[in-house]
Amino acid sequence: MPVGYSIYVERPSLIHQRIDPRTKLAALGAVFVLALAFNHPAVLGGILVLVLLAAQLAQLSWRSLLPAMVGSLWFLVLSLLIWPFYVKGGPSLFILFGSTISVNGVLFGLAMGLRVALMVLAAGVWMMTTSPQKLTVGLLRLGLPYKAGVAMTAAIRFVPLLNAERITITEAQQARALDLKRENPFNRAVKSIAIIGPLFVRSIDVAQSLALALEARGFAARDGRTSIVQIGMTTTDRIILIALAAACLLAIGLRILGIGLITRAYL
Amino acid sequence: MAEPVQLQRMEPAIDVSEVRFRYSASGPEVLHDVSLRVEQGEYVALIGQNGGGKTTLAKHFNGLLKPVAGVVRTMGVDTRGPSVAELARTVGYVYQNPDHQIFAQKVRTEVAFGPHNLKLPPEEAARRVDEALELVGLREYADEFAFSLGRGLRQKLAVASVLAMSPPVLVVDEPTTGLDLQGSRNILDLLGRWNADGRTIIVITHDLALVAERVPRTVVISGGRIIADGATSTVLSEADLLGKAFLRPPQVTRVAQRLQKFGIASDVMTVAQLRAQLRLALGE
Amino acid sequence: MADSTSEEYVIEVQGLRFRYPSSEREALAGVDLVVRRGEFVGITGPSGAGKSTLCLCLKGLIPAGELSGRIQVGGKAVTRQSAFLERSALVFQDPETQIIGLTVAEDLAFGPENLKRDPDLIRAAIPRMLHEVRLDGYDEAETYQLSGGQKQRLAIADALILEPDILLLDEPTSELDPVGKDEVFEVIAQLRRKRDVTVVMVEHAAEQLAEMADRILVMDDGQIVDQGPPHVLYRSAATFHRPDGERAPQIAEVLFGLLQDGLIDESEFCAREEDAINMLTDKLSRHHVRLASHG
Ligand SMILES: Nc1ncnc2c1ncn2[C@@H]1O[C@H](COP(=O)(O)OP(=O)(O)OP(=O)(O)O)[C@@H](O)[C@H]1O
Ligand SMILES: Nc1ncnc2c1ncn2[C@@H]1O[C@H](COP(=O)(O)OP(=O)(O)OP(=O)(O)O)[C@@H](O)[C@H]1O
Ligand SMILES: [Mg+2]
Ligand SMILES: [Mg+2]
Repeated sequence: MPVGYSIYVERPSLIHQRIDPRTKLAALGAVFVLALAFNHPAVLGGILVLVLLAAQLAQLSWRSLLPAMVGSLWFLVLSLLIWPFYVKGGPSLFILFGSTISVNGVLFGLAMGLRVALMVLAAGVWMMTTSPQKLTVGLLRLGLPYKAGVAMTAAIRFVPLLNAERITITEAQQARALDLKRENPFNRAVKSIAIIGPLFVRSIDVAQSLALALEARGFAARDGRTSIVQIGMTTTDRIILIALAAACLLAIGLRILGIGLITRAYL
Repeated sequence: MAEPVQLQRMEPAIDVSEVRFRYSASGPEVLHDVSLRVEQGEYVALIGQNGGGKTTLAKHFNGLLKPVAGVVRTMGVDTRGPSVAELARTVGYVYQNPDHQIFAQKVRTEVAFGPHNLKLPPEEAARRVDEALELVGLREYADEFAFSLGRGLRQKLAVASVLAMSPPVLVVDEPTTGLDLQGSRNILDLLGRWNADGRTIIVITHDLALVAERVPRTVVISGGRIIADGATSTVLSEADLLGKAFLRPPQVTRVAQRLQKFGIASDVMTVAQLRAQLRLALGE
Repeated sequence: MADSTSEEYVIEVQGLRFRYPSSEREALAGVDLVVRRGEFVGITGPSGAGKSTLCLCLKGLIPAGELSGRIQVGGKAVTRQSAFLERSALVFQDPETQIIGLTVAEDLAFGPENLKRDPDLIRAAIPRMLHEVRLDGYDEAETYQLSGGQKQRLAIADALILEPDILLLDEPTSELDPVGKDEVFEVIAQLRRKRDVTVVMVEHAAEQLAEMADRILVMDDGQIVDQGPPHVLYRSAATFHRPDGERAPQIAEVLFGLLQDGLIDESEFCAREEDAINMLTDKLSRHHVRLASHG
């Protein structure tokens, strides 16, 4: 049953192919630091534009970014509705439910919404541009134990397998006239055993078979392993890393000085 | 034995007309303009290459999949209306792997699940369970643990638990994979007996030798199209056509066709037939 | 325990018994087996006979349970403590649960990477292996998108890339259509022409087995109950030609019938399609000539 393993999309872009997964991980971290360092919507908006530019550079379609953007928009609206009641300061705009709504409150609400959008989008772009294989190799180089790395891959494999099993089992029981939606809550609980039971048995079977297959293919037969996936830091990577470090330091400095903030009262 | 089904209105058991199907809007079309009519009481084999669309088509019969275009009716009912659970009264569907449906501890409880879901009166349900167990030959296992049965018996249990719902139409998807010859023959014999009671059977399989022995009508699906449909002996002797669906005639048919110049009939289907022909040709 | 016979016999099993902890019956109840280098041995038998358990033992993946007897592979004793057996590779029945990589190339590389082979050599081997199983160009395809037949072929490539000289296959064609089955057998036949591999294959497809196997073993209840080269084995009435017998090639069933009718003799019995056609053509034309000269 075709179920995607990850949201990674292969593209022949510089970001996909040339940049080391470790650098991309660092970039994601840096975006998070920047997002937390500032709370002025203009600054956060600026960084968001940079992330969207990176997505363009990575040849990602706007459509693939849509789910992340729609999700973020929700947060933006929510945060615009809530924060103005808490954050005051700056010229007042109007009075709502006996509370004065001020410019700073609106701006802060906007900033918090943008902050979430920034993190969600950055994480999305990161996952879409970093293949799980390369990430695993990158993490191994960073000191992740090798068995944990393979366990990660096997787990990624296990989830869709089980999902396919779940779908088949549900279909098979529907064909035996099981209709959970039509049952009262008590019967629904009792009858869902018809799906959970086989799923449980099958997941043990699948786990056992996968474990045997791993062993038959020499998993853990040696200490350590080689990899056909080549990753390595290039000059580009180093320049990016230095730039990221500088940006983070700068952001922390500005935060201490109070620049790029609506208020110091909140993060 | 299950009571024979009353065949008053001769609606076709399955009536597929000009059906197109794709799994997702952006995905490729998997069934292209498929039409198929199966009358009540027929026994039909659905054969064809891996990925040809057999399972996809069969899942339309009980409403698990709904056509993107065209209409599917089972016993006269458009499958777009009722839910799968409601259609289960009319169409039974047996999955390939019995472990995808066995959950109860006792064999009897497992078989009773379907009748129970159909909200049959308890006596009626108990009677059907007994009949189904009898029919598949699991009567003496009624109080055993379902999971302790071997693969062949679990397969029969899966069939019994669908038979107990007494559907007039039965679809069986690859019931013989992973079974030995004896197990496979048992299952096909069982389906034959059920069919003799006037019920409609559609079996999906790669085992053409068994089809030749026991199933009267054969439908070949390839690349999402029905490329042949007719009497099994006609369909299975057309090597070129089968080749298109990555199939081959049974071995006896292939051998018979190579011995045609000695007067051996080219539509030989079974071991017994070829043996009889050769006996004739080699005898005085 | 390397001895002189290890050169000739790559697999030697003596008095092998095994019982799963959860079961009272022995899954293997005294198996004796030797396999010559380069031999193709087929194994059939009813469900639950112990075929898969035997395969696991031969690969050194001895399951938890009570084991006795002796297993030698490539002249070395196999025990639970044995290091990974590099000389043999095992293909399992279910294609879904033996594919580990997310892409075809990644999956192929998984085994040799574990064995710390040189990444450059692995990369070079991938297209070759894909060619051998007719999956050329599928390197970057995502494994979940492959069809059942393609997955089964990939699983075979996964074994081949380890360069085993003993290939163990546990029902590798069970879900394939007839032509797909032929293709898998053809892949193995080609491999045997190119390299000196020993093949042990559990398989229910009697026709294909008869074409390729040097010897076929029939297992039942944890024991080898019958064995022989196809043209001898498939004559065995007790194993095949009774109502609940094992599956023989159809042509063997026909010829067995003719044997009973006294129309052919034992030396004429065969189990391969081509042999049977030749034999029958020969016999029928002689018969025609005789009939013609009589009348
Ligand atoms: N859930 C699904 N989502 C998307 N595509 C699917 C799905 N199931 C099947 N397909 C595709 O639809 C086509 C028909 O598949 P189907 O399972 O009907 O074939 P089949 O004839 O039953 O084959 P087999 O003999 O291997 O069981 C194939 O190309 C398959 O890849
Ligand atoms: N993990 C297990 N735990 C307990 N018993 C097992 C286990 N695996 C197999 N058995 C039992 O051991 C016996 C031999 O099983 P095995 O799987 O080796 O048979 P097989 O010949 O491969 O059968 P099949 O043709 O169905 O694959 C059977 O009785 C089976 O029930
Ligand atoms: Mg199918
Ligand atoms: Mg097995």
